[in-house]
Amino acid sequence: MSEPVLRRTLSGRAKVANQARASRFHSSVAGMLSLCGTFSLLLLAASAPAQAAADGQIRYSIESAKAASNLLLDITQAGERIVAAGDRGHILFSDDEGNSWSQAKVPTRQLLTAIDFIDDKHGWAVGHDALVLNTIDGGESWAVQYEEREREAPLLDVWFEDSQHGIAVGAYGALIETIDGGQSWDDISDRLDNEDGFHLNAITYIEGSGLFVVGEMGGMFRSADMGETWERVESPYQGSFFGVVSGSEPGVVIAFGLRGHLFRSADFGDSWQAIELSNGNGQALESGLADGSLLRDGRIAVVGHGGAVLTSDDQGRSFKLVNRPDRRSLSGVTSDSQGNLILVGQGGVRIASPSGADLAPKQ
Amino acid sequence: MTKHQQKPASFLERLIFNNRPAVVVLCLLISAFLFYQAAQVRPQTSFEKMIPLGHPYIQKMLEHQNDLANLGNTVRISVEAVEGDIFSKEYMETLRQIHDEVFYIHGVDRSNMKSLWSPSVRWTEVTEEGFAGGEVIPQTYDGSPESLEDLRDNILKSGQIGRLVANNFKSSIIDVPLLESYPDPEDQSRQIKLDYQKFSHELEEKIREKYQAQNPNVKVHIIGFAKKVGDLIDGLVGVALFFIVAIGITFVLLLWFTRCLKSTIAVLITTLIAVTWQLGLLHTLGFGLDPYSMLVPFLVFAIGISHGVQKINGIAMASGYTEDPVTAARMAFRQLFIPGMVALLSDAVGFVTLLLIDIGVIRELAIGASLGVAVIILTNLILLPVAISYMGISQRAIKQAREEASRDHPFWRALSNFASPKVAPISITIAVVALAGGLWYGQNLKIGDLDQGAPELHPDSRYNLDNDFVIRNYSTSSDVLVVMVKTAPEGCSHYDTLAAMDELMWKMQNTEGVQSAVSMVSVARQGIKGMNEGSLKWETLSRNQHVLNNSIARAEGMYNSDCSLAPVLVFLNDHKAETLEHVVAAAKDFAEENNREGLEFVLAAGNAGIEAATNEVIAASETTMLIAVYLAVSIMCLLTFRSLAATLCVILPLVLTSILGNALMAFMGVGVKVATLPVIALGVGIGVDYGIYIYSRLESFLRQGMTLQEAYYQTLKSTGKAVIFTGVCLAIGVVTWVFSAIKFQADMGMMLTFMFLWNMVGAIWLLPALARFLIKPEKLRQKA
Repeated sequence: MSEPVLRRTLSGRAKVANQARASRFHSSVAGMLSLCGTFSLLLLAASAPAQAAADGQIRYSIESAKAASNLLLDITQAGERIVAAGDRGHILFSDDEGNSWSQAKVPTRQLLTAIDFIDDKHGWAVGHDALVLNTIDGGESWAVQYEEREREAPLLDVWFEDSQHGIAVGAYGALIETIDGGQSWDDISDRLDNEDGFHLNAITYIEGSGLFVVGEMGGMFRSADMGETWERVESPYQGSFFGVVSGSEPGVVIAFGLRGHLFRSADFGDSWQAIELSNGNGQALESGLADGSLLRDGRIAVVGHGGAVLTSDDQGRSFKLVNRPDRRSLSGVTSDSQGNLILVGQGGVRIASPSGADLAPKQ
Repeated sequence: MTKHQQKPASFLERLIFNNRPAVVVLCLLISAFLFYQAAQVRPQTSFEKMIPLGHPYIQKMLEHQNDLANLGNTVRISVEAVEGDIFSKEYMETLRQIHDEVFYIHGVDRSNMKSLWSPSVRWTEVTEEGFAGGEVIPQTYDGSPESLEDLRDNILKSGQIGRLVANNFKSSIIDVPLLESYPDPEDQSRQIKLDYQKFSHELEEKIREKYQAQNPNVKVHIIGFAKKVGDLIDGLVGVALFFIVAIGITFVLLLWFTRCLKSTIAVLITTLIAVTWQLGLLHTLGFGLDPYSMLVPFLVFAIGISHGVQKINGIAMASGYTEDPVTAARMAFRQLFIPGMVALLSDAVGFVTLLLIDIGVIRELAIGASLGVAVIILTNLILLPVAISYMGISQRAIKQAREEASRDHPFWRALSNFASPKVAPISITIAVVALAGGLWYGQNLKIGDLDQGAPELHPDSRYNLDNDFVIRNYSTSSDVLVVMVKTAPEGCSHYDTLAAMDELMWKMQNTEGVQSAVSMVSVARQGIKGMNEGSLKWETLSRNQHVLNNSIARAEGMYNSDCSLAPVLVFLNDHKAETLEHVVAAAKDFAEENNREGLEFVLAAGNAGIEAATNEVIAASETTMLIAVYLAVSIMCLLTFRSLAATLCVILPLVLTSILGNALMAFMGVGVKVATLPVIALGVGIGVDYGIYIYSRLESFLRQGMTLQEAYYQTLKSTGKAVIFTGVCLAIGVVTWVFSAIKFQADMGMMLTFMFLWNMVGAIWLLPALARFLIKPEKLRQKA
């Protein structure tokens, strides 16, 4: 009944020139970076504005009333403020827990894939064209720190330890690091055992343990020393992982991906346990899971395709599933002070009950 | 009268009246031939006739028609499950039967037909294996509860909710693109033109009636241009009844007016001959009768009657001086042929100005009406007096005419005060106030269609109810503006092209009045996401050409065969003129900013593109047409009266009528569109008749040395009754239309009734007041 049309196997991938991309990245960019060290870093840092200039003026994202109801991919807290990023260079911020949104001034119209804040002022966003943007005013205005169009591939997630040190991951095994707040970026992808250049989909800090990266084809990597050295983790699943979330207890890792697969480790990835996910009728969840968050009330929320919302109040040992009636795919989640979920994805941002269901209409 | 009798007989008069039998025989022969032709006239219309073919949008659309996968002409059949939803074995079976039945109706573009039962309607899903997909209704479908459950899943995954399947799952659509002409099934080398009436009837009989009877749980809703036109043509048949009603009323009025059965019948028959000739000529010249030119036979009838009445009036008066009907007819001919000719020529000139408008149906209306008027010259100015010369006129009518001529008429006496120095300034003041009021209110007049759905039909017509059903239950509106994106061959899949298209789509989606926008970019974004395991983080264009090429592989129909043209479909909330103007302006701006070597954004196709073009043409022609029609009738008046003042006396009341007519349209919520634009020209063209008849009489009395008021009294006494009768006649010819099943005919009828009556009032009330200020009787006397 089903007929696979475009198999994403290794042999198939070669045809789509992904392989070519990956190897090119390794040979030219990565090679150059690792060999020439700081010199090339300066070069790269300088190349970003140069590229924008070559394009004529900087093309800012268009201010649109529809930005909040258009594709948004990630949402996070910046102090009390909530910031979301997504399609066409849209970055939105809300100071009233998601009820009303303002659009930030962003110097790109590319799809932004992830966003991370270390405090109420300093944040970074990454996206296609290997863009890195940063803000120092809580997300109201943004500047391009890094861009590399020739890569023809996106960065997919970003994590910052403090105002200086951060790491971004991306397609075809991209892993870049900064130690100067994003002024210059160093390619560190060869620190990972990922020769085939599989996508790295997400990076997060696991409470009390270290960094954890998940990716395509069951890829899992961890670093106990904030990214200096990396180790491949024995993966419980060979399909793709799209996201990874830390529990609030040390060493708790929740990783999830294709077709409703979700795994929990209490020991920073040494051992895994598959968590069964099903709706009230006992039907197993089959939609892909895209992203999750450790909420401020200590619960863990994971969202995905087809409007799937999972919440756990026992550190990920079990999840409750809500399939949202509109079935639109979700790709990011945070919560307000009441515990209500603020979801982003297709159709933009919406506020849901703590379980992910639609809120009862306000009286 | 005596003056006219002294005029020598013209060559034409001698030619006609010395060969009366020849005239009658000739007319009978022509009638026989044209009656045969007229009998074959069929209601017909075509899509292309209703659109301005010369407009750049339309030209671009036609230029790329083959690349556009029939965006213009589609019928959508929505099959509703009355109880429950579409997930029942019976519903799906009925849907399949309807799909198959429609497939075999001639004129359907079978390869592009789409419904849940089409193999081209597919679902897709991402698995560990990659991108999976299949037909929404798989080969294994057997109607069992399990396969219906699968069907529901497949539909959810197919992205067809709101498009082929209603948002509430209670109905689904069969999308039926049409071919304007299709190969003859018996002889493939021959092309048959799509017969909209037949097609529409086939939809009714083979689909709606048949399947609603077969499965009482389904209701069929059909929308689309072809169905609309089919309904319009059906409405025309109803209009034929109005024609009979108009003949009946006219007969009674004529009898009352002439007091003579013989001449009443003579006028009716010669006028019907005129209508027959006009229809026959139309068919001989290869035209059919479309919903818009349906008006013409009514006009020809009304104009014919009014001229016939003038003739009978003249003959009756002339009979006062002579016993011989031939002499009476000759005298009336001599006296009325020239003013009749002038009036009819003015009509024709008014109609001909409609040719300036680059829309097929309006041009056909112009040709049809001009032909009709030309025919009236032959039938009512020549054949009628000849016929009367044989039949004679009843003694009662002659006696009445004599009495009328001699006795005093308090009514006309009272009306003659319009020419008095006291009343005239008041009249002028009222007219100026009315003019200002009309101008002020007329500002609300809009171009184009103002209502949702099909404004040609009544809001509660079945078509509009069906249309409303589809709008309520589906997300894609029926109003689509298409921007064509042109590149070099193989250029449509380049990143720069797609990125620019994406920008255009976003700009359009942010334009007020736009519901959504779709193009190959939408497919490419979904495709790239699909290639990347369905991750939303990839739902954007890739700079990698291989990835882009792969991603558009599924966008069949969204770009042409050599990848040099791709449409961007912009779905609009409605087709109101402001919406169209607004959206088109936004698209134009974008095109101007972004057109460059190798990448061009071309407007426009889609029904909204066509309507935008039509609106632009109408807005541009409205002024041109008004100037042309007024210029034409002014020149006719100048030639006839050789006096600027006289021309002003005749024209100014018409101007007032035109302006009040605009205000009335604004008040009734009718926009200036294909159906209503001709009304103004028709109104002016015919309205000038009254002025010409009245002024020519008035002038002749002034030349005899009468004062203005006395001359006007004499004018009213001799032709006032005929003029009022003419106005009423014309109004009756069209007022029955108000009851038409077709809304635009009702609007036309209302407008024309107003124009005809008010032009008459203007001629009788305002013309003498203007003459009081503009005409110097002394000068005329000197000339005489």
